[in-house]
Amino acid sequence: MFLKMIVLSSSALVLWLAPLVGLDKKVGWHKSIQGLSLSAAVACAVSAGNIGRHLADESEIQELKTRAIKADVEDEIATEVYISQAQRQQEAEAVLNPVERLERALALSCGDEDGTANVQNEIQAEDVEEQRAERVLELKAKGWGKAKIILEVWGVSKGGSQKYKDAETLYERLIRGET
Amino acid sequence: MQAMYLANYFIAGCIASSLLGWIASLHPMAFRAIAFLLAALGIIWASAWLLDYSLSQFLKISIQQLQAVLISVLAVLVVGLGVFLCS
Repeated sequence: MFLKMIVLSSSALVLWLAPLVGLDKKVGWHKSIQGLSLSAAVACAVSAGNIGRHLADESEIQELKTRAIKADVEDEIATEVYISQAQRQQEAEAVLNPVERLERALALSCGDEDGTANVQNEIQAEDVEEQRAERVLELKAKGWGKAKIILEVWGVSKGGSQKYKDAETLYERLIRGET
Repeated sequence: MQAMYLANYFIAGCIASSLLGWIASLHPMAFRAIAFLLAALGIIWASAWLLDYSLSQFLKISIQQLQAVLISVLAVLVVGLGVFLCS
């Protein structure tokens, strides 16, 4: 189309100028040729103008399409960036979550161990107290004296030491039946 | 591309004015008719310059576009008739 327009406009210029310059106006058939060539030149120039206008409209539409495509691509890229960012965030959260779960599980298991150990210690202490109480009552029934029982059960000899005083307090409590 | 098609229309106008000159050279009556046509065109052209604001509103174009068209019409007539008369 562009080539056709160039050819038509060139033809219009040639048909306009060549007969006017090259032919004589006083000769009859020269004048007729001039008229015909001028008419043909007008037709060629108008056709070239129409083709040029058509091409200009097409190029304008093409430019609008290019702008629209560019805007679409930019929008798509922006959307993909947003989605990939959100996806990365989700992946990071997914990576972090098992670690958090593990930490919680470890914390819970540690807490359980402490609790179990405390319970076990308490049970052991109660067992020891019961054994002591039985042993004390047994020795008392045999007729053993207080100092001898304390020495047998707690391993503390009579005197003014704090250990003996504590052992004596516990002995008195066991004898009274307080546990 | 827009400049090219405007140039083509400009050339078409120039050739058309040369054709008018050629028609005017055929017969004295044709000369008078073309002279009358050119005179009428001149009156319209001058009136368009005087009424450019209202005419631009009527044609729904800007004043600059109307002035460009009027100058182009004058240039087309001058170039076309000048080429015919000088050849």
